[in-house]
Amino acid sequence: MANTIRNISAIAGRELRSYFGSPVAWVLMGFFAFAFGYFFNVYLDFFVRSATQSQFGAPPATNVNNDMIRPLLGNTSVLILFLLPMITMRTYSEEKRSGTIELLLTSPLTDLEITLGKFFGAVGVYLGLLAVTMLYVAVLYGLGHPEWKPLVAGYLGLLLLGSAFISLGLFVSSTTKNQMLAGGVTFLMLLLLWIINWFAESAGPTFGPILNYLSVTQHLEDFSKGVIDTKHLIFYMSVVVFGLFLTLKSVDTERWRG
Amino acid sequence: MIEVQHLTKRYGPFTAVDDVSFRVEAGEILGFLGPNGAGKTTTMRVLTGYMPATEGKAVVAGYDVFSQPLEAKRRTGYLPETPPLYPEMTVREYLLFVARIKAGILKKSERVERVASVMRKTHVDDMANRHCGKLSKGYRQRVGLAQALIHDPEVLILDEPTAGLDPKQIMETRDLIRSLAGNHTIVLSTHILPEVAQTCQRVVIINKGRVVAIDTPDNLTHQLKGAASLYLQVDAADGAADLLRSLPGVRGVTVADQNGTRTGYEVESEESRDIRRDVARAVVQQGWGLLELRPMRMSLEDIFLQLTTEEQPQEAQHG
Repeated sequence: MANTIRNISAIAGRELRSYFGSPVAWVLMGFFAFAFGYFFNVYLDFFVRSATQSQFGAPPATNVNNDMIRPLLGNTSVLILFLLPMITMRTYSEEKRSGTIELLLTSPLTDLEITLGKFFGAVGVYLGLLAVTMLYVAVLYGLGHPEWKPLVAGYLGLLLLGSAFISLGLFVSSTTKNQMLAGGVTFLMLLLLWIINWFAESAGPTFGPILNYLSVTQHLEDFSKGVIDTKHLIFYMSVVVFGLFLTLKSVDTERWRG
Repeated sequence: MIEVQHLTKRYGPFTAVDDVSFRVEAGEILGFLGPNGAGKTTTMRVLTGYMPATEGKAVVAGYDVFSQPLEAKRRTGYLPETPPLYPEMTVREYLLFVARIKAGILKKSERVERVASVMRKTHVDDMANRHCGKLSKGYRQRVGLAQALIHDPEVLILDEPTAGLDPKQIMETRDLIRSLAGNHTIVLSTHILPEVAQTCQRVVIINKGRVVAIDTPDNLTHQLKGAASLYLQVDAADGAADLLRSLPGVRGVTVADQNGTRTGYEVESEESRDIRRDVARAVVQQGWGLLELRPMRMSLEDIFLQLTTEEQPQEAQHG
């Protein structure tokens, strides 16, 4: 067990070093900071205006959690839909293309250790992206007194959503040598999961609820309201496990095919 | 140290390795010789646990590579055809990483020490802080070798360790490999023939997935010719062939080439008998000019060609 953890952390550490050793992670982080900053500005501006100009006697919006943080985290989830495929696309594809996969597969490591190492490495980069957003949130704490509980729940939701995306991205990357292809296919796949509930209404009474359930965004809703529901926890965890399982199977199949 | 029994690997309908069996004793260097696509790399990938075999068994350092892969991998160092380097890591970082996943050395100071000693052994210490992606082909190959050696494995499997190197680097690499024998059991593959003669104690010649010969390089060159032969060139009138045939121990004489009065003969003798003195004396006594006399041995190259081209005519019929 101790050995397993050591091996996983060795792989994850190498992944992290490779992300931050190349421009990929930095460019993504810069882009993410810029986009998040833009949304932050837009919502802050909107919030300040609606709070100060109480028009037509409507009650002013004064809840930072509801009117700032919630839509911001919602926008973040759209951003990671675009960014996470760029993080996961190289995980296996690049190793297959350059032949380094031979080093990993002939080392005394189990396939699970390699897959989990790569998974946690990518999650690490994702945490780095989320950390950037916390700088902005810290500003809010300087200006007002947002509640921390919904904030924590919101970030937990984002972390789970991102982990699910990463796990599926790993699988796609493990099926091809071409990292661009892996990135594109991952994006399309995540997009499909994103909008799948659009078809729910026309799908009829049997498939409608299923499509709704599969929609990754539906499950995020409660988290951003500050509610941590085990139902949603289990949904995201299942997607993570499913993605990792597919990755393991795919690596094993490639082995037989050579 | 390595035992391979009836190993077969199929990719769909294509059979890459077909019923291959061989043994390698501890401390031995075994050469894997064959044309491109003969199944060398596939066999090595099975031995290193990179891919499973379709049928058969392989035992490395006492562990079955299919049922106890982790134990076998712990005792095997592997240099694939392309050295598995991460371009964005420096040589030192890379070797430290490999030391972590292969040797499982816990203490950082021990890892640093091990990496330093392997870098010295493979002469890459002057590139320790260079990124792997910026190394020349020769250095890349040597870092690949360093990576294979890092956990001091009992078995080393090297897939074309000298491919793409310049002549000086090839010599250095061969010397290094030879110096590793004894402490390590080595299997190396190549399609360069002199390499086998120079570095290996035994050779497996493989073609189209099948083993066509296993022996020492010396035996292979002898054995295939059957009886011993001499090449003789004389400056003489006719009748030299008859005279040669009359000598004791001579089995047959054929004319190999003719150029004016100079004639080259191929003289076949009984296997254990050295007839060179008798032949020379007979020629000189006749007053003929003895221009050349040498034992005819097939080079490894001839053997290789002979063994690996045998099946060609059959295919031509269907073409």
